[in-house]
Amino acid sequence: MSFSPGRRTFLRSTLLGMLLAPATAAARRRYAYPVATNVLRPPGAVTEEHFAATCIRCGRCVEICPYLCIKPLDIRSGVNAGSPIIEIENIPCYLCMKCVEVCPTGALRRIPQAQTRMGVAVVDRYTCVSWKDKILCRTCYSVCPFMDKAIRLQEFKPVIDERHCTGCGICTHACPVPRQQGGKAVNVEPIYAREFTLPEEAQQIGGAV
Amino acid sequence: MKVLRQRSWSFWRLTVQSASFALLISIPLLNFYLNFNFIQGWYQSLSFGDLWFVSPLEGLERILITRSIYGPLLVGMLIPVVLALLCGRVFCGWICPIHYLSDLTERVTGAITRSKHTKDRWLLPRQILWVALIGELFLSLVVGAPIFVFMSPPGLVGRELMRLVFFHALALEVFIIVGVVGMTLITRRFYCRYLCPLGGLLALIGHRRKLRVVVNPNSCIHCNKCDNSCPLGLKPQQGEGEYSQCWNCGTCVDVCPQESLSYRWRGWSSGEQYGQK
Repeated sequence: MSFSPGRRTFLRSTLLGMLLAPATAAARRRYAYPVATNVLRPPGAVTEEHFAATCIRCGRCVEICPYLCIKPLDIRSGVNAGSPIIEIENIPCYLCMKCVEVCPTGALRRIPQAQTRMGVAVVDRYTCVSWKDKILCRTCYSVCPFMDKAIRLQEFKPVIDERHCTGCGICTHACPVPRQQGGKAVNVEPIYAREFTLPEEAQQIGGAV
Repeated sequence: MKVLRQRSWSFWRLTVQSASFALLISIPLLNFYLNFNFIQGWYQSLSFGDLWFVSPLEGLERILITRSIYGPLLVGMLIPVVLALLCGRVFCGWICPIHYLSDLTERVTGAITRSKHTKDRWLLPRQILWVALIGELFLSLVVGAPIFVFMSPPGLVGRELMRLVFFHALALEVFIIVGVVGMTLITRRFYCRYLCPLGGLLALIGHRRKLRVVVNPNSCIHCNKCDNSCPLGLKPQQGEGEYSQCWNCGTCVDVCPQESLSYRWRGWSSGEQYGQK
């Protein structure tokens, strides 16, 4: 039995493909992880691969957050609709660890404050005024809840230590570099969202998904 | 029992539904304005202090898809599952905000058109409910994300109320709620009858439930009032109140002029109440 498509079949399938291409692209967008630079999951979150499946969108982390930093996503985020997200440029996470206490599904694991890994702050040495202009700005150093551990000053310039940085985003929120100059000079990258590998010091979290 | 029967079951049901909906509204208000975190969440997960409830279908989906078990999740699912085992779909009939909103819609349209309730314009076999349950679980496993978790209409009502209070905005999901409630104008409780996977799961759990609506064939005069009144399109007169789809709302018990229909608490093996079956 041989398959010999005629011109009509060819045209029809081409048309179908042209119609389906945007649909698949849209579907892929619906699957995209909502985390990005400065857009993070709450503390203790499992990796993005498991988060959409683990979170039941009960919204209790949103309700308990005293700083209103956790927001639920809406249907435009596709399969992640209703799951919590923190936009640290607006309101950072102050690591009160209340949300991990109320999560009923283990999407936010119960971890101690110092072992939170929402991301890692990265100093942009081209826009940071301490690095670029030799100005004595130490805002991020002063506001960091793990001062002298997560952010140290090296010759009056801020340096991040990823072994202690929790990715809470308080430094990003406080950074005085205006957005017009290419954004904040210290940003939090959600590097643990894809693969949860911790620095050795914090590896005793353990636990399954 | 005497005191209870002075009021109709519909009165008690409406009271419970209104109280549940008031709870749903008051939870975000209390959390937002008073920082009162003792009660939290909505019908996907509800907490009264350390007493946690988790919706069985959401929990089941999460367990199936992540292939892992989490202790608090199982404990939270315990009370709803036991309730469904004993009373069947009683959550749907007495608590669910979608049924409540559909009920209100029907009352409003009934007052406008001066009819008791809307007609059933489009009927499907009631076994579609199982298809909805299995299809939803299957689709969730294919997609790799629990579908009902972010599209569940009862949960969306709570989530939108929370969003309204916390962020003073509504999301696009409101249209899902409007659509699902609007379906009741085509066929009464169309979504609850045929499409709701949570209702399907509760019906499945409560297949051998204890609380049933039972007809007494000796006093029944076959007036068909109960058959016309059932929001799920069941026929209690023919004993369909014992079907697993029945959500024990008590509408048929109320309309029966002979009091032939009544709630019965029965053993696991369906006992002979009236010498029939």
